[in-house]
Parts: sequence; structure tokens; C-alpha cells
Amino acid sequence: MTADQIRAHLDPIRHEFAESRSLVLPALKYAQTEKGWLAPEDIRAVAEATGLSPAYCESVASFYDRLYLQPTGTRVVSVCVTLSCMLRGSDEVMESICDTLGIDDHHHGGTTADGTVTVQTAQCLGYCDRAPCVQVDAEETQGPLTPDDAARLADDLRGAPAPTELWR
Amino acid sequence: MPEREPVTFQLDGRTVHAPAGTMLVDAAAMHGVEIPIFCYEPRLGAPIGACRMCLVEVEGMRGLQTACSTPVAPDMVVRTQSEPVKQAQDGVLELFLGNHPLDCPVCDKGGECPLQDRTFRFGPGTTRFAEPKRHHPKPLDLSSLIALDRERCIACFRCVRFSQDVAQDRNLVFEERGGRTYIATASGEEYDGRFTGNVIDLCPVGALTSNPYRFVARPWDVKNAPSVCAHCSVGCNTELTAREGRILRVTGRPQPNPAVEEGWLCDKGRFAYPATFGPDRITTPLIREGGEEREVDLEEAVAYAGVLLSRGAAPGFLLGATATVEEGFLALELAARLPNGTAGRLGVPSDGLDVLRALPAAELGDIDGADLVAIVGGDPANAQPVVELRVRKAARRGARILVIGPRSTPLDGLGGRVRTEPGRLVTCIETLTDAVLGAASPVVLWDEADLANEPQAAVRLAELLAGRAGARQIELGGDASTAGLRALGIPAGLMLGQAVAQRIGTFVAVHVDPTDGPGGAEWAAALARVGPIIAIASHRSRLTDRAAVVLPALTPYEQEGVLVSMTGRAQRLRAGAPGPGGAAAGWEILVALSHRTGKPLPYRTPRQVFAAAAEAHAAFAGMSYDTIGDLGQPVARPAAPAEAPPPPAAAGDGLLVVPCPAIFGDATARRSDALAAVRTPPRAWLAQDDAERLGLNGDGLVRLASPHGEITLPAAVDPRLRPGGVFVALGADGAPGAESLLPPDRGPVRASVARA
Amino acid sequence: MPQLNLVYRHREAGGPLTELTAYERAGGYRALRETLANLDPDETLYQFQRSGLRGRGGAGFPTGRKASFLPKDAPLRKYVVCNADESEPGTFKDREIMEMNPFQLLEGLTLAGYAIGAARGYIYIRGEYEHQARILDRAVAQARAAGYLGQNVMGSGMSYDITVYRGAGAYICGEETALLESLEGKRGQPRLKPPFPAVAGLYASPTLINNVETLSALPPIMERGADWYASLGTEKSPGTKLFSISGHVMRPGNYEIVLHDTTLRELVEDIAGGLRPGRRFRACWVGGSSVPVIGEEALDTPLDYESLQAVGTFLGSGGCIVMDDSGCIVRASLRLAHFYRHESCGKCTPCREGTNWLERLLQRIVDGDGRMEDLDLLESLFGRMSGTTLCPLADGAVAPIRSALRLFRDDFERVVREGSPRPEPMMEATVA
Ligand SMILES: Cc1cc2nc3c(=O)[nH]c(=O)nc-3n(C[C@H](O)[C@H](O)[C@H](O)COP(=O)(O)O)c2cc1C
Ligand code: SF4
Ligand code: FES
Repeated sequence: MTADQIRAHLDPIRHEFAESRSLVLPALKYAQTEKGWLAPEDIRAVAEATGLSPAYCESVASFYDRLYLQPTGTRVVSVCVTLSCMLRGSDEVMESICDTLGIDDHHHGGTTADGTVTVQTAQCLGYCDRAPCVQVDAEETQGPLTPDDAARLADDLRGAPAPTELWR
Repeated sequence: MPEREPVTFQLDGRTVHAPAGTMLVDAAAMHGVEIPIFCYEPRLGAPIGACRMCLVEVEGMRGLQTACSTPVAPDMVVRTQSEPVKQAQDGVLELFLGNHPLDCPVCDKGGECPLQDRTFRFGPGTTRFAEPKRHHPKPLDLSSLIALDRERCIACFRCVRFSQDVAQDRNLVFEERGGRTYIATASGEEYDGRFTGNVIDLCPVGALTSNPYRFVARPWDVKNAPSVCAHCSVGCNTELTAREGRILRVTGRPQPNPAVEEGWLCDKGRFAYPATFGPDRITTPLIREGGEEREVDLEEAVAYAGVLLSRGAAPGFLLGATATVEEGFLALELAARLPNGTAGRLGVPSDGLDVLRALPAAELGDIDGADLVAIVGGDPANAQPVVELRVRKAARRGARILVIGPRSTPLDGLGGRVRTEPGRLVTCIETLTDAVLGAASPVVLWDEADLANEPQAAVRLAELLAGRAGARQIELGGDASTAGLRALGIPAGLMLGQAVAQRIGTFVAVHVDPTDGPGGAEWAAALARVGPIIAIASHRSRLTDRAAVVLPALTPYEQEGVLVSMTGRAQRLRAGAPGPGGAAAGWEILVALSHRTGKPLPYRTPRQVFAAAAEAHAAFAGMSYDTIGDLGQPVARPAAPAEAPPPPAAAGDGLLVVPCPAIFGDATARRSDALAAVRTPPRAWLAQDDAERLGLNGDGLVRLASPHGEITLPAAVDPRLRPGGVFVALGADGAPGAESLLPPDRGPVRASVARA
Repeated sequence: MPQLNLVYRHREAGGPLTELTAYERAGGYRALRETLANLDPDETLYQFQRSGLRGRGGAGFPTGRKASFLPKDAPLRKYVVCNADESEPGTFKDREIMEMNPFQLLEGLTLAGYAIGAARGYIYIRGEYEHQARILDRAVAQARAAGYLGQNVMGSGMSYDITVYRGAGAYICGEETALLESLEGKRGQPRLKPPFPAVAGLYASPTLINNVETLSALPPIMERGADWYASLGTEKSPGTKLFSISGHVMRPGNYEIVLHDTTLRELVEDIAGGLRPGRRFRACWVGGSSVPVIGEEALDTPLDYESLQAVGTFLGSGGCIVMDDSGCIVRASLRLAHFYRHESCGKCTPCREGTNWLERLLQRIVDGDGRMEDLDLLESLFGRMSGTTLCPLADGAVAPIRSALRLFRDDFERVVREGSPRPEPMMEATVA
């Protein structure tokens, strides 16, 4: 993503903040929609668009779970594994998704060999009423899922066309 | 700062006092009670209370309080030794150690490590944390100067706050969060800045260490000496570490000088010391006679030099950038005792600027408390680097910053920026007047060389400041020696003319090679017209290559003496190491020469020399090594001159040459191999209009020619510049740099500019 | 066990109120209109105070009192910040407000802005709630178009607007000062207090920070009167409170109840449909995961601030996680330890290192490699972590686990001896 594209995205909201540093999160989130993660050149573009240093922008990005500084799959599946979801089978859901996608590490997840899907665990997604729940990118969280539902979801994702903007 | 009311409070059962608002840690320290800390460092800004090491009990407050962020209040009851406090201290230390590698025996910080020390005194000494420790790749280079061991980091925030808030280079950050947090730069980038080495001093563990110093020494076999840096006119207080006779490290003092550097050093000053044992260092005295060159011992060399001095009349003593007050005084004394002797110094003849110098002066420490900081000309961030940190601090505290002048400088973004046309500083006076009159405690920093070229601007500035009660000024400029030699009345800018007129016989160069600098070509020609040359020098130069006698001198790292900073603060140099065996201190050589010329000067120690200087020169009246002490003492200010000198006219045709200092571009950076990777090459910049007119689009080489010299440099367009000047970075990669375009007195000059 | 839908107006209305017209039809914006017409800011603030409303984000601080801490005539701009970070495990009540009844939040945020004289309101919403953030964006646009926001709110001369600001995944950003840091474009790490946000908050300006539910309670308070609101519940716990209930219950979901009028047992057994047949209640984290866990003996406690405190826990966020006897308390504790370890911001030593140590210790115990001394080590670790940190996250990590060790010591000892086999989870797909 270029600094100009980021600037264009920020311009309409600039006036809402007394200090322009507040634009760094919107800028990072938007910059990420292109690849689904932030490469060093994206960080530099954010830095240029916000007037902050690249190191600063990277530091902010690295603090947040949903900003990625390493390549991810085209789609990211977040499996909530916090208490309410655990009590209702989130570990089984995680296993089922990883198995379906051929990811060995059932604890932490990983990215499919073809780079289409990243599976990760998530902390409480705020959908404990629908536990166990799963969120694809930043779409509305889904649940409750049985391990079979989860396998189907994973399977579908692999074949689905990628959205144009990868909001995470 | 207004005196704060003392308040009375209870400290571990004692009734004690401290000024209101003092944080408990400091208030306790005033009464001999140490509360352990890691993250607290008031020089970095408001306390952040992160490490939790300083927890104490305050009666009436729920839970334990961080002593670093709790101000004393009247009748407060504070307990620093109670059981809950001990438990908390034990706890924090045990938790630190749970993830800290126990590699103290091989750690550079071992023996001078606050974590080690506090664990010993306040902690359990061990940890019950038996789980595997956190792993990070072992030491990596943050830059050529600094190594980082992430496993040792205790996430105290000090280095990061320095980078973000103090130096504001903003290149050093935390990444990730929680237990995964680590120190980093942007991916693929080095830690780039002018002050990066300070993070080494700040680190309370061995996570950030000096690359040049790594594994060179262990704290128990080194010696430390407090001294001052002689690489520019600021006079930062330093601590020199030596082993086996060599300087191995320069750091900020553990007890910083609040009036000067506040404990910060620039990377040039910190990492210049390897030059003391670099390949250019002169260790053996030389005599050149009848086309032959002989290595001799110092005694013989001095004897020979004495013969040369007694033989010829009209000896000229030229003093250079690091000459001490003692050396200046001895040169004066010798010159006075020998027939038609003279002493002079290199630098800008700027007596006219006494009109400004005579006004109420500020110390660097006063910049923080100002509500307006105006910088008129120059580029302190490059030429007097530590000033930058003071100005940034003032800005952080809400002062208005006004940067006035033609150059692009690192302080430009900090506040108001008045960009003047080259050579037209006078046009800023109106803006400045409004600002100064609107401020309660303005401090104006003015550049010696720029204002010496525009005396009418200096006079108007002086009028403005004289008319504003509370206004103070600071001179930017000169070298480490300048203010001291000036206070002795040693003139600048006269000796070249005397040499050209063949009025100098034996030429004694004390820490100087005048052919390497402004007017170098004129000097080279003039030196062909003087008698034999005696060089008292620590490093090889063109001058030492041709001198009749070379007397190896100690560097400022190795000798005693007094230097006067640009703000007029006399401070003591102290020997951190003895220096090479064949060398002697400049003052010692001068005294020895006096004996050889039959006019013996009666001094055995620099202390005696200084005492005599103080006796003889009003500026130093009443001063001694003891009164100067560890933190220095101001010298008397000069009186205002009767009238201002006429404005000098710029020689030559073409664009006005605007010399731009470059922190890592000068000879200091050139001589230290530690600074090899950060050295900057000579360059030129042009304003957009000028570049277009000259048919220069984009970058390329330009040939610059002034009446004093010629040079070809890579040039770039800087759209922020105003037309009319060619901006040249000073310093050179060995060859003569852009200085060669300048006249010997650094006066105004024009140069033709053409594409090369 | 009366349920009363004041904040959940959409439930009363029988459907989502995501269109402005629907919200208006359900009585929305009446409170703001009447307040702007009839009360000055100080009188409005006084009503907040009279209502006795307490913060619903977890700490339960009286809302009116907090608002009154803002300096009255500071030269700086003032702000209201709505805490919509909702990341406390087991808590999902604010989500439903934003999904189904977003205008009530906007109305409440505007009322708060009026009372303190704020220039702008921000809704800091967790990044994972992108879906809800878009609903809010749309609602803000509709409200602005209708004159409920903007230069001249409802012709009153008040100038006020609202910004929806998205987080990016960090629980700690729910802590109010970390939230402000994040909103200022920094790493979300808590600030030292004082100064409190009321004095120096967003951009160092006086700032009022309140939870989504807290702010959404303001319209009904202003509409029906502070005294009426205060008459619900008890003196210390007036009004209604949302409870999110999850875990081993048959009808997990959100329920709005009048404080004190319902017991935990009624919430679990009646409102949330009880446990699976044949299962027995084992433990419950009643106010989100950062509160001490309670056992069966606490089931008859009335749900209000003071009664829960009396049985050793807190009402917290109202995120009630229930575990039946199929669950293992040590595993549950480990899962929470993992959460806090992951979410510690890393600023203070006891939390950064302590949460790490806590998880590793528990992991070893669950894996069957524990020693009895580890339980003492745990106790000592709790001591090192609690009351020594900058923000309450570390205390939040200690509370559920220390209480578990004390209440269910036998289980811990058994797991130390035998390890903990993974239990069968409850998979009945039941949504209220
Ligand atoms: C670690 C931590 C996380 C928190 N998360 C939230 C949250 O997600 N939402 C919330 O409203 N308050 C949260 N809080 C409480 C806030 O700090 C603050 O008390 C609250 O927003 C004040 O609003 P209220 O008075 O309306 O409750 C959290 C506190 C802590 C210490
Ligand atoms: S208690 Fe934990 S989350 Fe809170 S400031 Fe300290 S390290 Fe950060
Ligand atoms: S525990 Fe999974 S959504 Fe709350």
C-alpha cells in the first residue's frame, strides 16, 4: 500500500482527532487490507502518511493481536479458546479445523501450505453465548460450531474467493 | 525554579524534611535512605511507575505506593523497611531473575550492574522460578556502536523513552507485548541517531552494551576518572574508563552536571576516544634536520626545540582547538619573555560580539526553564550536539522554540521556523523582537561565526536583549579551547597576517594544523615564510609531516587542565590514562621549553599554572582548581566593546558559501574507527531555484570555486532552502573539505558553482 | 426474579432498533430532547448522581460522581469516551446493545457529553467487533443526518459529534488509561494515576470514560427520572444490570435484571435454563473472569454489588461463566492464566513476569508434572503479583486462580498427583 492511498483514507477523518498520532491505528488497519499483513514497506508508508517513524509504527502494530507483521494466509480464522468456549468444545473445534487444513500444530495453528488460510487461537471474542465460536478475518463471529461444522467452514474457506479488502 | 516550601514527614520513624513535591525516592535519598529503582529516571520525563521496584508503605494509602511517583506531603508517614515492603522488593527481584540469564561472569555489565547490585542488597538472591527461561537470539547489533542482548532486558523503558522523548530520534522501540516484549528498531534498520550511546548508560542491566567496549575490560580492572569532553565547545562532563593505560570507554558521569550536559553525551564525544590509540597517534618525538628525519627521545626533542626558539626572534605560538587555559597562559608567558614573541589562536575573530557576550548569560541548564528558546544562526544539533537535547526538553516542557537561520537543521520541526536568506540573519530581528517581548524568560542562542559575519544583526540583537529584563543569551560556537583562550586575551585571526608579512620566526603549533581548515591554502603558503616549525601535537597532520621538531602531546583524555565552555564555564580536564610513553602534556612541554630557552617558568603542575593564570587574568580572578571543583565555575564576562566593527564584505563571485557543520563529518569522526560506519561524507545543497538556474536537476557533482580554494562535491537540492547560497557540509574524508573554500577567519565568501 | 429491559429497549420493542426511525418509535431520543429543552448541564449531571448509577464496565464506580470530577471551567476541551472494548472473558452484553440498540448508546453518549460540556465523544470498540462497529458507523451517520449530532444538536446550540474508533486486538485496551493511550495512537499500556482521566485524559484534556452499558442506561434514567431508577434494586445497587451468562448452562445469553431482585441460582437455573440433566453446579465466575470464583454455597446470593462482595467475589462486568461438575477447575484456571499471560501489556514486572510464571506452573501441574510444593509456590506468587502493579490486570489474574486454589484445594492436590485428563466438553448447541 502506498502512503498516498493511506493519506486518502485518512483525510476524511483527520479533523476528528486533536493529535494526528491517533491516525496510526486506522492507518495500520487500512494498510493491512491489501495483503492481509504489514510488510516493512507498508509500515514505511504508514509512517510517511502519519508523520511518525517507521520504528514507532511497527512498535504500535506489534502490540495488537490483529495487526500482523509476518505473512498470513489470505484468510485468517480465529478460534476462541477462552474459558466459556473451552467448556463448550473449542479445543475440539481447533483440532478439527487444523486437521481439515492439514495444519499439525493443534495448539497454536499455522498457515496452510498453499498460503490460503491461517488458523490461530483467539482470546474471548465476546460471543460466549454462541460458544464455541470462530471468527473469519473481521467478519461477524460464528457459533456455536460442532467440530463437523468447523471442518466444513474450513473447507469452504479454502475454496472461497478472497475478499478485495482484507480487514482483519 | 522557585524554591519549594519544605514539608515535614516521617521516614522510617524519623521526622525529616524535603521540598514539597519531591518524589519519595528522592526525598528518602536526601536522608540517606535508598529505595531501589529501575525505571525511575527523572531526566527522561515524568515517572512511569513501570518496574514496581520502589514500592513503599504510606500510611493511609491503600496498598503499596511507588516511591518514584508519589510526592512527599506534609505529615506523610512513610515506611521503606517494613515487612510488606521487603516482600514486595523480594518479589519484584525474584520475578526479574526468573527470566534473566545468570551469565553475569561474562556480561559486560557485571560488577557495575544495578540489577546485580540491587539483588545483592534488597533481594532474595535466588529465584524459585524453575521453568524454562525466555529465549531470544543472542546479542545482535543495533548499530555499529550498540549491541543488544534481549534475554537480559528487563523492560524498564529507559532506552525507549530516551529515544522517543529525549533524543526524539524515535528509532528505538518496544515490540510485541507482555512477556514477549523486546527492544527493537524498525525491521532491517539500524538504531540511527546522534545520541544513541546514551541508552548504554541508561540500561540497568547488560542488555545494551557498547560495541567498541565489548569484552575489552571487566569493571574490576579498570580505572574511572571524571573529566570533560574536548570535541566541541559545550564541555559535557564525562567519565573516562581506562585499563592498562588506555582509554577504553567514555560515558556520562554517574553524577551528571545539571548546568551542562545533564548526563547525556553525543555519539561523537562518546565514541571518539579510539583515536587516542589510532594509527595517526604520534608516540615518538622527531627531529628533521638537513633533509633527514630522526626519532629521538622527548628530552632531546625539547632541547632541540629550545635551541630553535632561542636562536630565532619573534616566535609565534598558535593554539588549537583543544588547548587548555594553562597551555594558552604558558604560550603567552613564553611569547612575552622571548623577543617579539606573539601568541594567537585559530578561529573566528569576533571581539565585536562582546556586545552580546556582555549581556546576561544563561547556562545550558537554563534552557529547560525558558518559555522561549530562539536559535539564531548556526546548527547546534550538529556543532554543539548536546544543546539539541536541552532544546527538545524545553519544547517538551512547553517552551516556544524559534529556529532562525538559513540552514536545514535537525531542530527545524520543533517549533517556529524562520528561514532566512543566506547572509541575511538581520531580517529575522523583527520576528524575534515580537517573540522575545512576548516571553517572560527568553533564552537566545546565537551563532558566533554567523553573527561575526553580520555585526549589524549582532548589534540589533544585543539591543533587543538588553531591553528585555529576564532575557538571557548563550553563544554557540568555537572549539573546546576558544572561550578559555579568549578569556586570556589571546587573539584570533592575527597570526596569519604576521606570518605572511614574515614577522614570525619560529612557529610553535600547539594542538593545531592551520593548513587543515578554513584558509588552509593561505596558511600553507604563509608557513613557507616562517622560520622552523615546532609542532606540539598528538596526531599526525600535514604540519607534523613538515615540522622541524615534533613533540608528541597528550590528548585531552590524558592530561589535566582547564577548558572554558561556550557558556563561559571553566571545567577541569582530568587524565583518564597516562597516554603513550613518548608523549607529554602540552603544558609540560611548554614549561620544559621555557627552561631550554633560558626563561624558565616556575611551574611544576597544571594547578600552579592555573593559579598563576588566575592571578594574571581578570576573567579567572579568584579561581583555582578547588573552586572549579567537579562541576565547574563560570568565568567573568567580558565588557561590551565601544563600537561594532564594520560588516565584512564577501569576497568572490557566485553564491554565498554557507558552511554547515556535520556531527560525524569532522576530523574527530575521521580519526575514530568506532565512528567509521556513521561518518558522513562532504556534500553540498542548493535551493531549488539556484539548482534550476545552474541546470542541476536532481543529484550530481558540483565544482565549487572561491578565492580560497576549489572542491568538487556531490550536491543535492533541498527545497526548504532559500536561494542565494551554496550550503556545504564541513569535514572531509581525508582530503581537504569544504573548509578550503572559506577564508582563514571564516568570513563571508562567495563561490562559483558549476556542474562537474 | 424480575427482568426489566431498560437498556435492552430492543427486547421490549420486540426487534432490532438499528434504524433511527425504529428507535424513535420505541421512545428513543425523547430523553435527549427533553433534557436539552429543560435542563442545563449541571442539572443533568445532578440527575446522573441522583440515579445512583454505577459503572457497568467492572469497577462499579458511581457514574455521576465520576462525571462531577471533571473541572467545571477548564480552558481545555473535554471529551467523553465510551469503553466498548468488551474483552473480559464471559462478557458480551455490550455487543448486543451495539448490534440491536445502537442509538441508545449514541443518545447516552450525547447526554453525557451535554452534562460535562464535551466537544466530542469517542466510542473505542474492540477490533474484533468490526461488524458492530459498522452498525455504529451507520447509526452515527443517521443520527448526524437527523440533527441528533453535529453543529447544533436538536436546535439546542450544543455542538457535539461522535467518532467510532476501532481497536486492533488487545484486552488491556479496556483498562481506561490504556484505552486512552491506544486512542492517542500509542501502544495500549496503562498510565500511572494520578492524574486521573477526569483531569488529564484524552490528549491530556478532562475526559469522562464510561462503559457502553453505563452510557446506555442514561436515556432511561433521564426519561423516567433518576428517582424512579434509584428506586429499583437497593441503595448501593440501584437500577438494572445486564448479565451475560455462558458456559455449562442450557440457555446462554444476555439478561437484564433488576439488581438484588434475582439470586445467582435464579439466574442460572431459571433464566439461563439450568444445567444439563444430571450435572451438578461446580463453580462460577460471576462478574467476568477477573473475579474470585465461587462455589455452590454461594448460589443463593442476590445479584447486587454488596451481596456478591459479601460472599467474596465481585459483580464486575456481569459476565457470568458457569462450570458444572464435568469441568476441571485446574484446567479452567490454566486457561485463564493463559489469557492473562497473553494479555498482560508487559509494562510492570509483577504482571509481565508473574502471569508468565503462573501459566507455566499451572501447565506443568495439569500435565501431571506438578509437585505439592508448587501449590505453595502458587500462593507465594499470588502474593508477589497482587497489589504490586500499575493497573488491576494482575490482580484480575490472581483473583480467580487464588480463590480456586483455596476453594478447590482438593482438586488441585488431585491434579498434582494424577494430572488432569481432558474432560468431555458440553456441546449442546443452545442459544437463547
Ligand atoms: C484489564 C482491564 C480491562 C478492562 N476492560 C474493560 C472493558 O472491556 N470494558 C469496560 O467498559 N471496562 C473495562 N475495564 C474497566 C475500565 O477500566 C473502566 O473502569 C471503565 O471503562 C469505566 O467505565 P464505567 O464506570 O462505566 O464502568 C477494564 C479494566 C481493566 C483493569
Ligand atoms: S498490571 Fe499488567 S496489564 Fe496492567 S499495566 Fe501492569 S503489566 Fe500492564
Ligand atoms: S470465551 Fe470464547 S467468546 Fe468468550
